[in-house]
Amino acid sequence: MMTIRRSALPRLLILLLILLLTLLLAPLLAGCPAGTPPDGPGSTARAGGGKVRVATTTGMIADIVRNVGGDRVDVTALMGPGTDPHYYKATAGDIQTLTGADVIFYNGLELEGRMTETFEKLAATGRKTVAVAGGVPTEKLRQPREFQGRYDPHVWFDAKLWQHPVRAVAKTLSEMDPASATLYERNAAEYLAELEKLDAYARTQIAKLPEAQRILITAHDAFGYFGRAYGIEVRGLQGTSTTAEAGARDVQDLAKLIAGRKVKAIFVESSVPPGTIEAVQKAVQARGWDVKIGGQLFSDAMGAAGTPEGTYVGMFRHNVDTIVGALK
Amino acid sequence: MTNGGTATAAGATAAAAPVSVRDLTVAYDEKPVLWDADLDIPAGSLAAIIGPNGAGKSTLIKAILGLVPAAAGTVRLFGEPYERVRKSVGYVPQRGSVDWDFPTSVLDVVMMGMYGRLGWVRRPGKSERERARECLREVGMENFAARQISQLSGGQQQRVFLARALAQEARMYFMDEPFAGVDATTERAIIGILQRLRDDGKTVLVVHHDLQTAPEYFDWVVLLNVRIMASGPMEATFTPDNLQRTYGGKIAFLK
Amino acid sequence: MNVLRDLFLDYTLRNIALGAAVLGLVSGVLGSFAVLRRQGLMGDALSHAALPGICLAYLLTGSKAPLVLMLGAAAAGWLGMVLILRIVRHTRIDPNSALGIVLTVFFGFGVVLLTVLQKRNDAGQAGLDKFLFGQAAAMTQEQVATMAVLGGAALLVVALLYKEFKLLAFDPEFARSLALPTRSLDLLLTSLLVVAVVIGLNTVGVVLMSAMLVAPGAAARQWTDSLSKMLALAGAFGAASGIAGAVLSVTAERIPTGPVIILCVTLIVIVSLLFGSARGLVWEWLRQARHRREMRAAMAAEGGTTP
Repeated sequence: MMTIRRSALPRLLILLLILLLTLLLAPLLAGCPAGTPPDGPGSTARAGGGKVRVATTTGMIADIVRNVGGDRVDVTALMGPGTDPHYYKATAGDIQTLTGADVIFYNGLELEGRMTETFEKLAATGRKTVAVAGGVPTEKLRQPREFQGRYDPHVWFDAKLWQHPVRAVAKTLSEMDPASATLYERNAAEYLAELEKLDAYARTQIAKLPEAQRILITAHDAFGYFGRAYGIEVRGLQGTSTTAEAGARDVQDLAKLIAGRKVKAIFVESSVPPGTIEAVQKAVQARGWDVKIGGQLFSDAMGAAGTPEGTYVGMFRHNVDTIVGALK
Repeated sequence: MTNGGTATAAGATAAAAPVSVRDLTVAYDEKPVLWDADLDIPAGSLAAIIGPNGAGKSTLIKAILGLVPAAAGTVRLFGEPYERVRKSVGYVPQRGSVDWDFPTSVLDVVMMGMYGRLGWVRRPGKSERERARECLREVGMENFAARQISQLSGGQQQRVFLARALAQEARMYFMDEPFAGVDATTERAIIGILQRLRDDGKTVLVVHHDLQTAPEYFDWVVLLNVRIMASGPMEATFTPDNLQRTYGGKIAFLK
Repeated sequence: MNVLRDLFLDYTLRNIALGAAVLGLVSGVLGSFAVLRRQGLMGDALSHAALPGICLAYLLTGSKAPLVLMLGAAAAGWLGMVLILRIVRHTRIDPNSALGIVLTVFFGFGVVLLTVLQKRNDAGQAGLDKFLFGQAAAMTQEQVATMAVLGGAALLVVALLYKEFKLLAFDPEFARSLALPTRSLDLLLTSLLVVAVVIGLNTVGVVLMSAMLVAPGAAARQWTDSLSKMLALAGAFGAASGIAGAVLSVTAERIPTGPVIILCVTLIVIVSLLFGSARGLVWEWLRQARHRREMRAAMAAEGGTTP
């Protein structure tokens, strides 16, 4: 009598089915499109009452717009907390947000390195696209030597310089929505005053540090303007852009420097993996100097929405306090 | 190592026949390659499996050894399922089934025949090396022990495979086209060894491609074309009628 | 000479070099088996398949600890491997296509997850994409220790089951006839490959890992006809490339270590292809030239004596 054996094909089919389910469910698990907060990425809803729809790249710029525009604007920031703008590539959803906006504010100076083409295309279609850092006078910009004639884009770390983008935003919004121009002017003036206070705060706090400890060591060269404005030496492990990988020699050199000058603390950044700074710390400890990780700084992105660090002013203060607290 | 001259009583009863196959069926993509095969090979035979291309000859051997999955049927070797008697069975695969560019020496290949007996982890030692050299001597390749296998001719490769099977010290051997693409000297050498094995009481089952030499070399024949057309002693079974049925068309005979 | 001293005394260089050496040794040995079994692309597929595992590990645990991410990478790589083997066994798709399918589907999935994570208002997800190209400069002593333990275990398995793996690679059909559990052995050997991939991901990254698996073995084959010597040589080539890459990358600033290691091993491959004692192309060419000369001389001589 013939007895037919069962094939093992069903097992393969089950495996593929599980894979398919994982593929479909995992993005939902990550909290994708489904529950986005009204102000978060992906919200392209048409605002009622004739609000100006604004799209920005970084959270810092979005913060300006919110402060200047108040109720008159509906802001969406493409890059959330912890997002690295040097690396960021626009998704299809982002393009939708951008094309659906009345005005687009981005940093410029090639901070959003992978989106230059996108902005050019958008500008070509006649949309209002403004590089807010473009308002900063060229002579005030830093030109790091290894950047070959390009400028350091991290202008928001000098509170005084950051006033230029604020004025640029106010001007643009007034042009787009003249009816509320006075509102924008008033808000802008208030915000500018806050920035003045912030600037003074940073200056006095940093001045409290002993000379020998006035050196800020972080994962990448984001704090150049900060150092220049507030009198503190700045060294980053990676260059001005995080797209370049940190080299072994850079780790070595930095470790030698830290151990040699007996720097108390080094800092990790929220938008850059901490691995390399931790490796620097271990290298310094191997040289007999116990350097601490002084805390996490916000460099290219702000903190979580709803927290004090989720605003520019809050984030700036947090940085100053963390730095001073660790190096005192 | 070898028994006395005549066929031993070990395979005398049908229940302990060296090869006993019932209803063996193998299909690739719903196409039957081997269908409903029933087969009994008596002990001490030197048997040939003959049939046209694609008739399932290799498949028959591989299915018996469990190398391809069978859709149906049972196989008993010496009355037991294959897994229990594998130490008594030697196998010579087709030469083309292996990449001869692999970095290994002739002696190493022969010693592979003893891996089954060595078990896990244990490395072949001096006695295994000696035994391997003996097997190489039997096939006339003792001077090639250190040679890289990529430097061998077709006939030499076949002899190495045979030596490896001899190293298995089996009671029964399955061989897949051992004479394919082999020079006349090697062919004579190989058939000599096979006949010596048969005389020692071993059972040898060979997929053979050459109708001319079959009656001369073998004493038992299995005619196969997807189904077993006939199986029996060479004289009685290798008839024009049976051959006609197996090959379907006309075959020229030189008899 | 300073560099040599630094190799031992400087924490950074010492650990990067050690880590790279372990990586080179393990991937050289295990990759050799892949090369011999004509599965060179398997390493590529496995390293690309690891990406979604890294993302999911972070998604599910919220931790970016290297061990957690490595486990995720291993799980995804292993799943990819099982899928490849099953596809080959149960469908008519050929092995290379199966590898390609799994590679692209898994990797694509991983990129989607990376993008999705980027979109989350979550301040902690930065840096998962560094696994694409590796971060050799971030090597710590702890990482080296982990790599050494895992790699050592993998090499131990190879040493124990050397003859079984050798037979499996050479003649799997004959192996099966000896009732060796070839499927399990195949799974085990490929799992060891997953271990090698996971060890190397943080150093050279997903994209370059396949080179580390295939190049040392391919180079070693040019020098020897013995499997044991080939494995030893492949391990040595891999380790040497690792150390050389580490040393070279400290000679100047901003040189990424991973790619330099790959350049070193590529150099070894080219030299081996040309000058390898067993099969070097240069020797082959010289031999052929000599033969041609001899034949011409023989024909000329014959021509002279023919009446």
